[in-house]
Amino acid sequence: MTDMRCPAPIGFADVVDYWAGELTRSEEDRVEEHVFRCAACARELAAAEALARGVAAVVREGRLHTVVTDAILNRLAADGVRVRMYTLEGESVVPCAVWAGDDLVVTRIRADFAGVDAVSIVTRQASGDEIGRISDVAVRPGQREILGAFSAAHLRALPATRVHVSVTALAGSGGSGERTLAEFTLEHGGAFDRPSGVQ
Amino acid sequence: MGERPADEKRSRPASADELSRVAPLRARRDLTAAGAAVSIALVRGSADTGLSAASDGEIARGIASAPPGAAQAEESELYRRFAGRVRMYGRKHLRDDAAADDLAQQVLLVTLEKLRAGEVRNPDEIGSFILGTSRMLAGSTARKARRRESLTAQFHAPALYAEPDVATDDIAAVERCLHALAERDRRVLVLTFYAEKTSPEIAAELGVTGTVVRVARHRALERLRDCVGVPGPRKP
Repeated sequence: MTDMRCPAPIGFADVVDYWAGELTRSEEDRVEEHVFRCAACARELAAAEALARGVAAVVREGRLHTVVTDAILNRLAADGVRVRMYTLEGESVVPCAVWAGDDLVVTRIRADFAGVDAVSIVTRQASGDEIGRISDVAVRPGQREILGAFSAAHLRALPATRVHVSVTALAGSGGSGERTLAEFTLEHGGAFDRPSGVQ
Repeated sequence: MGERPADEKRSRPASADELSRVAPLRARRDLTAAGAAVSIALVRGSADTGLSAASDGEIARGIASAPPGAAQAEESELYRRFAGRVRMYGRKHLRDDAAADDLAQQVLLVTLEKLRAGEVRNPDEIGSFILGTSRMLAGSTARKARRRESLTAQFHAPALYAEPDVATDDIAAVERCLHALAERDRRVLVLTFYAEKTSPEIAAELGVTGTVVRVARHRALERLRDCVGVPGPRKP
């Protein structure tokens, strides 16, 4: 039947698990058999699939502002996404820019995260205007760096400016209140059509 | 093994061998014959077949009982209802959009053939028949490329119409809503649906349990759905 309502819907959680590959073979079979009999639940599956594909498309197009992992970077490289990388470590000022063709800019933020469960990363222009904020980033024991990703399109709109990155341990982490773990400075030169020196 | 009962033979989904051998030939015959009996060359761009209130079984019986080419509306409706489901099945198991599109096309062609030939024992269970056929065809990856070449060569991309996928064409909306999620939820979705990591792998990445990952994924995708505005009944 193609009734709009299903008397025994399989539920969005199962639909998500199905699409995420979390079900056993027999559970997958059960979902598929239901979906091929039930238009309403087929629409649920279609919704989950469309959203999953939408998430992948956002990432694949570099339209991301979040913490990433090396696994994600490897996948992005395989998909042809052009990633520009800067490493933030210590007190030196890091010169940076966005070039034509860049899809994503990633900062490797290296600091001492010992005893910290989660951090926030706030990026500001010299004017104090916020460029981006990533909150409640989970930190694993022994973790030494966090990879923050920005859409290059977003950064391309910035003027040349000094950029400050502040990494803050959240309240409760390490047994004390909010505290600054590390601060970094980048000298953003702006957006360029081609790498310097290339005619 | 003993001989399979005649009626069981008639109702089971065709085997991959049978399908790869027979379906393209029959479909080619039908598609190229005068009168274009394979009427899944549907009304381009229109989903209104006037049969939206009919059950799947009624649609299937309508096709089975009509002379070839006389049940175009029913065939259009059957395609509209099931092509998307077969395509989803194909994407899930073949992990290739083009192969999934081809699978949907071929499964529906075969289904119409079988209905017309009276080889679907229980039209009320046409969904099961289509699923079984999808499994048969998708299961043989070695034959997949050959079938695709055959379809492309023989069918000349007939104008098929199916309900579009649930629209997330507005990637900007997905982007905005994805960034409105909590960082951990966003990372779970990205690791799941882009990096294709399993729950245990994501759990190790985040320092939580697999159960926490699954719950976070459900919750995050529901929030994303609400934010983007993807329609459909979600809760009983």
